[in-house]
Amino acid sequence: MNQEFYSAYAAGTLDPALQLLVETQAAIRDDVRERLSVVDSIGGIFLESESKAPMSFRALERTLEKIDEIEVEPAINIRAAKAAGQTLDELIRLPGPLQERALEASSKAGWKFAGPGLKIMQLDVSDDVTTELLRIEPGHGAPRHTHEGSEYTLVVSGSFTDEMGTYGPGDISVVGTEHTHRPIADDGEICFALAVRDGDLKFSGVLGVMQRIFG
Amino acid sequence: MLDPAPSGPDRQDSLREYHSRALKAVAEKQSKKAFTELFDFYAPRVKSYLMRLGADDMLAEELAQEVMITIWRKAAQFDPKQASPSTWIFRIARNRRIDAFRRQKTLDAVADEPALAPAALPHPEESFSTVQIEEQVREVIQDLPDEQLSLLKAAFFEGLTHTEIAERTSLPLGTVKSRIRLAFQRLRSRLDKDL
Repeated sequence: MNQEFYSAYAAGTLDPALQLLVETQAAIRDDVRERLSVVDSIGGIFLESESKAPMSFRALERTLEKIDEIEVEPAINIRAAKAAGQTLDELIRLPGPLQERALEASSKAGWKFAGPGLKIMQLDVSDDVTTELLRIEPGHGAPRHTHEGSEYTLVVSGSFTDEMGTYGPGDISVVGTEHTHRPIADDGEICFALAVRDGDLKFSGVLGVMQRIFG
Repeated sequence: MLDPAPSGPDRQDSLREYHSRALKAVAEKQSKKAFTELFDFYAPRVKSYLMRLGADDMLAEELAQEVMITIWRKAAQFDPKQASPSTWIFRIARNRRIDAFRRQKTLDAVADEPALAPAALPHPEESFSTVQIEEQVREVIQDLPDEQLSLLKAAFFEGLTHTEIAERTSLPLGTVKSRIRLAFQRLRSRLDKDL
């Protein structure tokens, strides 16, 4: 385990895009989930032993009042979301942390056509890192591209193949500046993948360790 | 240093079981009494945690209350087999802080709607017990020498980089790294896992 990567994850100082990536991977893979359990429980234990900061006057009462207000909110969003039909069915099958972000994005810009058999949804996760959900139909894929920075692509369901090999659920393809690549979804099911990309070397500090962690 | 204040009347009870039951009562019976117990224990600690990470008193207060509201709303998603209450609440507090730092609008209610709650993830047969892992982590942490403990806390809880820790403690960077590595070796050998 790279301690500095996981301590940044635990403390919440990792870029939110990388945080989403590793949490989504944990929802798919036992070994990753186990590592996150270890580091999160370290945080939980320190929280238990944290000193108590004095709360403001009537903090509990005011919190309870806010809770009462929440409960009368009508679930308008749900109807809008249900109207989205098939799109929604697919998004609901995504693992927890990613599902939440994708549902949020689908109520805004949603899927964009990006080529034959390829749709892309921008997720609003990070100010510095482009975060996209890809939907690739079998036999199709992203156009060949090179990178300004680095790109990590986590396969969520289905699989794809590029020059480096075949990637299945829970695998992360790491592509640096020196590579061009052209992922093509394999036969069978539609491939959903989460891609995070930095344009200007924001990952440079963690790139080396990412390769080892996710490799 | 790591002894949390006893909570509730039954001191025989572990904190984990006590708070797990409170979360269950919030989820199933919308119990405000159980919520109050959780609030009394966690709200001031979450606030203190947020202030430690740089929030001022007013922001930390506001976020701590929001974390408690999230606990109320998501209590049904708490699974005592997956995490202890403190770990689950720590995750909520951490995520709330990350969002706040982005000054992000709060998420739509969509994902919280029970009808849309996480489609049962293909939760493979658990090849490990999360609860057991947490207990082992706890044992290791309780036995750590103070020096390693405070370094671990700085890295995993306070979010300092190894370089920042070296500056704060006036220890050489190599020493900081090797002491944190030592703490991890203890975890690794206790869990008998390649972390």
